[in-house]
Amino acid sequence: MATTQAASTAGAALPAEPGTPTSGGADGEFGVKARSQRQQITRRFLRNKVGMTGLVAFVALLLFGFVGPLVYGTEYRTLNRNAQSVSPGVAGYPLGSDEIGRDLLAGLMAGVQRSMFIVLLFVVIAFPIGLLVGALAGYFGRWVDSVLMRVVDLILTVPLLVVLIVVASNFPGSRTPLGVGIILGLFGWLDLARIVRSQFLSLREKEYVEAAHAMGASNKRIIFKHLIPNALGSLIVWTTLAAATAIILEASLTYLGFGVNGANETSLGRLVSDGVQAASTRPWLFYFPGITLLLIVLSINLIGDGIRDAFDPSNRRVRA
Amino acid sequence: MFFFVVRRLIASVLVLLASSLLVFALCAASFDPLQRFRQRQPPPTQEYLNGVAESLGLNDPFLVRYWRWLSGVFTGDFGETLNGTPVGPQLITRLGVTGRMLIAAMVIAVLLAIVVGVIGAVRQYKPSDYTFTFLAYLLIALPTFWFAALLKEFVAGGVNDLFGRQVLYTIGEQTPGIELYATSGEIWADRLGHLVLPTISLALLSFAAWSRFQRSAMLDVLGSDYMRLARAKGLTYRRTVVKHGLRNALIPLTTVVALGVGTLFGGAVITEQVFVWNGMGRFLLENGIRANDLNVVLGWLLVSAFFVVVFNLIADILYAVLDPRIRLS
Repeated sequence: MATTQAASTAGAALPAEPGTPTSGGADGEFGVKARSQRQQITRRFLRNKVGMTGLVAFVALLLFGFVGPLVYGTEYRTLNRNAQSVSPGVAGYPLGSDEIGRDLLAGLMAGVQRSMFIVLLFVVIAFPIGLLVGALAGYFGRWVDSVLMRVVDLILTVPLLVVLIVVASNFPGSRTPLGVGIILGLFGWLDLARIVRSQFLSLREKEYVEAAHAMGASNKRIIFKHLIPNALGSLIVWTTLAAATAIILEASLTYLGFGVNGANETSLGRLVSDGVQAASTRPWLFYFPGITLLLIVLSINLIGDGIRDAFDPSNRRVRA
Repeated sequence: MFFFVVRRLIASVLVLLASSLLVFALCAASFDPLQRFRQRQPPPTQEYLNGVAESLGLNDPFLVRYWRWLSGVFTGDFGETLNGTPVGPQLITRLGVTGRMLIAAMVIAVLLAIVVGVIGAVRQYKPSDYTFTFLAYLLIALPTFWFAALLKEFVAGGVNDLFGRQVLYTIGEQTPGIELYATSGEIWADRLGHLVLPTISLALLSFAAWSRFQRSAMLDVLGSDYMRLARAKGLTYRRTVVKHGLRNALIPLTTVVALGVGTLFGGAVITEQVFVWNGMGRFLLENGIRANDLNVVLGWLLVSAFFVVVFNLIADILYAVLDPRIRLS
């Protein structure tokens, strides 16, 4: 931590910049530089090895999926009758080819791209809905809670995978990454809502909420300034677990025959489920897609873990 | 407490009704029970199709059809499949098959999750924590069917080679026809051999997520004031962790596990497909959704929804037992 001390000592010599909040005169004398909560969290995250490993891996995978095809140049749809079931490394197929002669490396790039897209759709749709529903139910209680939670219970009585199967089996356009992402988002917020609610139920009883009330804070302010930031740690753990689950759900749906389908479409899940059938005959089709999927999910979870630690104000291991 | 349970039970029945109506509407709008007849060669005449539709009651208004199904359920009749066999007895048989896998998987997953989660939190950032974390992340990152294929390739082969005979099986819930010649002891041994791999693949995946949740809840609790107070009063560390910490850290887990019952039912759909178990999951998938059979889907829904509702009720009661600050009524 020598660098931190050096930096803050150096900072002490400088006059405080105008507009920078300082922690009072006494602290200023000892050269403690005030940082906003956001700065603290960012710093904690950047110093977290696990989180940064995840972030680096995630960025590498993003590059693999979105820049890789430009560099590699081979189209994943290209069929080659003369190169069916080629082993890795042979005849210009670095990761081999499948039984109809499609290049596996190009397929993986396309698959990663679509998985990232599905996860993005899922989080963008599911997170705000779950947060809002859970927050309203937990904070206001009474009939708001009853109504919202009964709706959640209603959908939750059917396992998510089955809701997805029923919906995906019947709606046209659901067999594309776009369709799968939207369906996942629309039905994936239920457990988040319940977790937010249970957090809010206990948080709203805390003294600082009472204090905020007493000082005339509005409900909106209490929810956004006091409750959500305090619940954020577990919400982010949820989001990362759920984002990971979304990728796996896509793979599972596809494996069962209700996910990404169609002659000219692919996804990581489709590659993995096709590969399972080839586990003992063409092992490269089994291992490479599976490991790629593992890497994506793993990197997302590592990022989430890093963020969780960064948000935790009681976390003293990484100094901020 | 009593009134709370009664009120929740009434609400649960209403929820079951509403969700069956929801699924009924979803399936009725999109299933085509006549598909199997349309695909016949030579194609049947329109009059024939109309006749089948009439006899299946497809021409009646939606609510009439729903009521016909619902009134059947009240008398214990879950309707017939499109092949004309009753759904109810099938559900019971198949619930027995799936139940073996589900109960075993759930017990293993919960116990492992608590133990590993607490160890991970208490020994945060120590090698044991990192090891468990890494293992959990690997398991979370694997799709069930891929992990199951790995188990089939390596574990089944390895164990069977070790014993020099087939101990673990990768297909089916028991050897077909075994009850015709084997003793009951042999039948149970055979079922156990079939049970191991599906249970492992189902349990480990829930366990991984639950242990992360337990660890995070435990960490929150370990940093709280009442833990420090308990220590300040002179309690041993072990005692504060188990009596004060674990008790409170179990509250979030009960929600997650109660919700996990539904996920496990859903997960069983995949596991049964991989290991070719003729349980509830394959019934839903093969006889229900792929066959466009509404009665099968609804039957499956009622059974799984029943368990989800029951487990949610148990979770709510456990909240009150574990945390006296939460009042039920």
